[in-house]
Amino acid sequence: MKPAPFDYVAPTTVEDACQVLADAGGGATMLAGGQTLMPLLNLRMSQPFILLDINKIEALKGVSRAQGATRVGPVTRQCEALASAELAAALPVLVEALSHVGHHQTRNRGTIGGSIALGEPAAEMPATAVALGAVIEARSVRGTRQIPAREFYLGPYMNVLEPDELVTAIDYPDWPQGHITLFREVAQRPGDFALVGMVGALALEGGKIARAGIAWFGMGPTPIAAAQAEQALLGQSIDAIDPQAIAELAVADTAPFDDHHASAEYRRTVGRRIFARTLGEALNIRKAA
Amino acid sequence: MNAPTIAGQGIMAGRYIGQRSLRKEDPRLLTGRGQFVDDISLPGMLHVAFHRSQIARGNILSIDCAAARDLPGVHAVWLAADIERPGFEMLSLYLRPTEVPTPLLADSIVRYVGEPIALVIADSRAIAEDAAALIEVEYEELDPVVTLAQARSGPPIHPGTDDNIATEAGDEEVDEALAATLAGAAHTITHHVVHQRISQSPMECRGIVAQANGIEELRLYITCQSPHMIARWVSQALGYPNSAIHVIAKDVGGSFGLKNQPWREETATILAALKFGRPLKWIEDRYEHLTACPQCREQEFTLTIAYDKDGKFLASQGDYSANNGAFPQGADNNLAAHMFIWAAYKMPTYGFITRGWYTNTTGLAAYRGPWAIESLVRETAMDVAARKIGIEPYELRRRNVLKVAEQPATTCLGMPVDDITTETCLDKLLENFDVPAFRREQAEARKAGRFLGLGIAAYVEPTASAGSINFMTGELAQVRIEPTGKVTAAMSTHSQGHGTATTMAQVIADRLGVPYEDVTVFEGDNMHGGFGPGAAGSRQGVAGGGAAITASEMLAAKVKGLAAHLFNASPEAVSIEQGMVHIAGAPEMSRSLREIADIAYSEPMRLPPGYETGLEVQFRYMPPPMTMTSAAHACIVEVDVETGFVKILRWITSEDCGTVINPAIVEGQVTGGLAQAIGMVLLEEAAYDARGNPIAATYKDYLLPAISDVPVFEFLHANTPSKTVGGMRGVGEGGAIIGPPTLVNAIADALSPFGEVPVNLPLTPSKLLSVIEGRDIAGHGGRGAAAAPVAVAPAAAPAASAGEAQIDGEWKMTMSTPMGAQEMTGHFATDGTALSGHLMSAEGRQDFTGTVEGNKLKFELKVEKPMNITLKYDLQVDGNAIFGKVKMGMFGSSKLTGQRI
Repeated sequence: MKPAPFDYVAPTTVEDACQVLADAGGGATMLAGGQTLMPLLNLRMSQPFILLDINKIEALKGVSRAQGATRVGPVTRQCEALASAELAAALPVLVEALSHVGHHQTRNRGTIGGSIALGEPAAEMPATAVALGAVIEARSVRGTRQIPAREFYLGPYMNVLEPDELVTAIDYPDWPQGHITLFREVAQRPGDFALVGMVGALALEGGKIARAGIAWFGMGPTPIAAAQAEQALLGQSIDAIDPQAIAELAVADTAPFDDHHASAEYRRTVGRRIFARTLGEALNIRKAA
Repeated sequence: MNAPTIAGQGIMAGRYIGQRSLRKEDPRLLTGRGQFVDDISLPGMLHVAFHRSQIARGNILSIDCAAARDLPGVHAVWLAADIERPGFEMLSLYLRPTEVPTPLLADSIVRYVGEPIALVIADSRAIAEDAAALIEVEYEELDPVVTLAQARSGPPIHPGTDDNIATEAGDEEVDEALAATLAGAAHTITHHVVHQRISQSPMECRGIVAQANGIEELRLYITCQSPHMIARWVSQALGYPNSAIHVIAKDVGGSFGLKNQPWREETATILAALKFGRPLKWIEDRYEHLTACPQCREQEFTLTIAYDKDGKFLASQGDYSANNGAFPQGADNNLAAHMFIWAAYKMPTYGFITRGWYTNTTGLAAYRGPWAIESLVRETAMDVAARKIGIEPYELRRRNVLKVAEQPATTCLGMPVDDITTETCLDKLLENFDVPAFRREQAEARKAGRFLGLGIAAYVEPTASAGSINFMTGELAQVRIEPTGKVTAAMSTHSQGHGTATTMAQVIADRLGVPYEDVTVFEGDNMHGGFGPGAAGSRQGVAGGGAAITASEMLAAKVKGLAAHLFNASPEAVSIEQGMVHIAGAPEMSRSLREIADIAYSEPMRLPPGYETGLEVQFRYMPPPMTMTSAAHACIVEVDVETGFVKILRWITSEDCGTVINPAIVEGQVTGGLAQAIGMVLLEEAAYDARGNPIAATYKDYLLPAISDVPVFEFLHANTPSKTVGGMRGVGEGGAIIGPPTLVNAIADALSPFGEVPVNLPLTPSKLLSVIEGRDIAGHGGRGAAAAPVAVAPAAAPAASAGEAQIDGEWKMTMSTPMGAQEMTGHFATDGTALSGHLMSAEGRQDFTGTVEGNKLKFELKVEKPMNITLKYDLQVDGNAIFGKVKMGMFGSSKLTGQRI
């Protein structure tokens, strides 16, 4: 378990990093927190010519305010995001989801952008980005573009980034104060990737759902937006919502598979159940408030 | 001098025995100062990596090493023929040639994914891996035999064999009387258990640094269970003098049965180092460990139990199969599982058939309680049986358990047993756990939609094997009071986390009368002290502890004799306390051990007549062949019926390991075994796909229990002294044996309103939800997916050509027995239907007479070892081949094959 030989570069600016990527012609792989990449290198499942270490680029770190959004630098450590009072206030469900990402030790090193760019279908961060309507900023020597998280993923560990592009920010749009948060995952051990999980946010106006963002993880080849469920919720009074019916619609958008750990039928069955329960409980709390 | 009378038996509370002394190992290990194999770096040392088979079964057409050899930094790329060594023989765990020859590197055929084919020697491990990746092997791929079902119907994976049976014992046909009892009983249940394949997963994977020195001299740093055993194995495999092999294993990061012996990679590294001349290091990485290392379990057991209307056992029948992989570390049919399945219960009669099967998977190795399936199948079957007649499962156990007052007794297989305290453990458990109160709580919870379950299990295990398994004998203690007055001991025990440097020091300090801090125990180096088998089968506390007690008491007697002589007192008046030697009634004569030791080492003229100078003693303790350890556990779980998840709420253990040397270490052993039990029941599975590829290749997919999955256990100790010196009983394996049935029973109890839970481990959420909802949710894509049977060309049946058989003459024959393959030569002479002749084997010559009918011959022989049994030979001759069965009394039947000389 030793990596195949590679060249190592560690630029300190985004410009230099983009130039490395442009020059590498697809032969570079980016190292952020290394929680997935290092094992993949050691297993020789990843054999890049150039390892581009982006940990020394200060511009890629930290949480800040952007226009109508919270901007998270991709090399922000998961532990830092978890401790961020700003994120906890603006996007409580992101922080809740983060507490399920790996363990203390892995979060000390793992990054928000690394998790999002990797795109493990059963991971919390990609699905949270999809649910909350995040926009991923990508840059290359050719320019900068904004990619909605919902258009970012193509398949397991596959996304729309070009080989010369670097994620420079994740912008999470603001959700109104007091929005409803939804999060539940079923994992075999604490810190594991989920067998099935769901994450979301609901904004209310006058007792009705004005905005809904919900996504699944572990329910298909990518994080999956529960688009039919979101649509059905819009405009509904919280007293009139039937969580079971919404859960049915949500499951209809999924494409789970059988693997070593659980069957597709298990994921559908339990997914439907945790979706309905989580939605129902969140609505009940709001009704009681 | 003579050994003093042993006063050690049944020490219940000593000065140090029974104390939670802090572990002597911990400061070093916790501050990163341990010495494991990968910490070793020798001058001139090079690194080894292996190119491994990418397919499970096939023929090698070509191997191209050119690119690998050309890589800078590569010193050699060797194939099977390059490391061949005249006289070398691959041995099993039992120090006998493996049943099928085990090559170190595959040459013409490959038999599992990960099988080593080429060995690369390079400047660094990274370069060695680069080179290994450049080797190209062309295969003719064949359909693999992966599962037990495929082994039964598929083609033999080893050329020149008739089938995939590695070893077999017992009888396929159920005994007539037993069948009649089963048929006539008020109740019978047939219970089927499937145990998945497990990876032992020690924190330290396998590894070796091999250095050839001088002529026929080797230094080996190897992670192992006993440096003495490794030296013995290597010496026998290579034909080297044992004392020329220096084995060092200072610290070992866990073993669990995996590291009894060097296996293919370690041995190939030794042979390569002998040939290459420079020290070589091979460290198994975690990927290799999870995909190419010997593994364990993967068993099926079908048990039928007949019982009367009161739940009293009448008869039982068992059928066991184990996946031995391609190259087991000793072909295994788990005869021990049958010998002990009913040892703690009154079962009048039991019959069995038991087999180990070869498949295209990594070979079988031992794992904490290798026979544990007997407790799993029996204890889970008993709960099903109890539910069927509507009594508390513990009540069924109480009605059938072999009581202490009823011993000594003889088991249904004719094995004498004594000192089994399962009843004691069960009573102690039930005194401390209110079952009726739990039943009320359970009923209330069910009303609220919460499903709680209680599992109780009980068992007995044979520990501290000494003389009952060939390589396990007594342990040696060399204890010395040094001229400084400090005490050192060289022990043949060895710790892979067992804490023997602590427990042995406690025992020595206690029996000698010195401060614990003054005792240092040396182990982990075969040049320290003498031979001993070390860790295997829960034996070190008993065998090593007994040796340390006796040696310490002999040494104390020596000190007392010397002090008595010096001070003109009687030896009975001398006592040793906290390193001071006192004379009763004469406090002014008290001397430190250092002063006494100084005289012993420096002033021979002051010693009593006949005294050797110095203060040292050596004693080898040979405990009884087996020492019985029992336990009863109770576990409470809650199963989430929405998700199928299991939460362990409480776990109470009641074990009897006799004298407890250090409760913290005993509880640590039980806890570790139970953590593995939780892994086996809920999480772990070393699964293969239909092509024989291991699919749990990292710890993302092979789920070990984490700290959050293991509850805080509650401990009850029964403390019935055994009949050994010191009264200890082995405790290393018990948790891993009794844990699985305890947890399975709790889950089955919780889900009993939904039906019985099929015991097909691991009990994943998908499988439990299938029981809860009464439909197949686990599906075929889930774990344990049945692979299609492998097509097999019809084998030519051995022709029974009656009448023309030529039986007279000499035959070379091999019998597969539970103790390994037995070679013999048969001399047969026929006269009509009369047969006479003799067998020549390692045990000598035995004559017999028998009968002949056509090509069939029958004869009987009586043997005295390992016990008095009559061997009934039932053979057939076909041309120049001979084959058949040998019935061996309680040991069942063995296969015999051979040919005309």
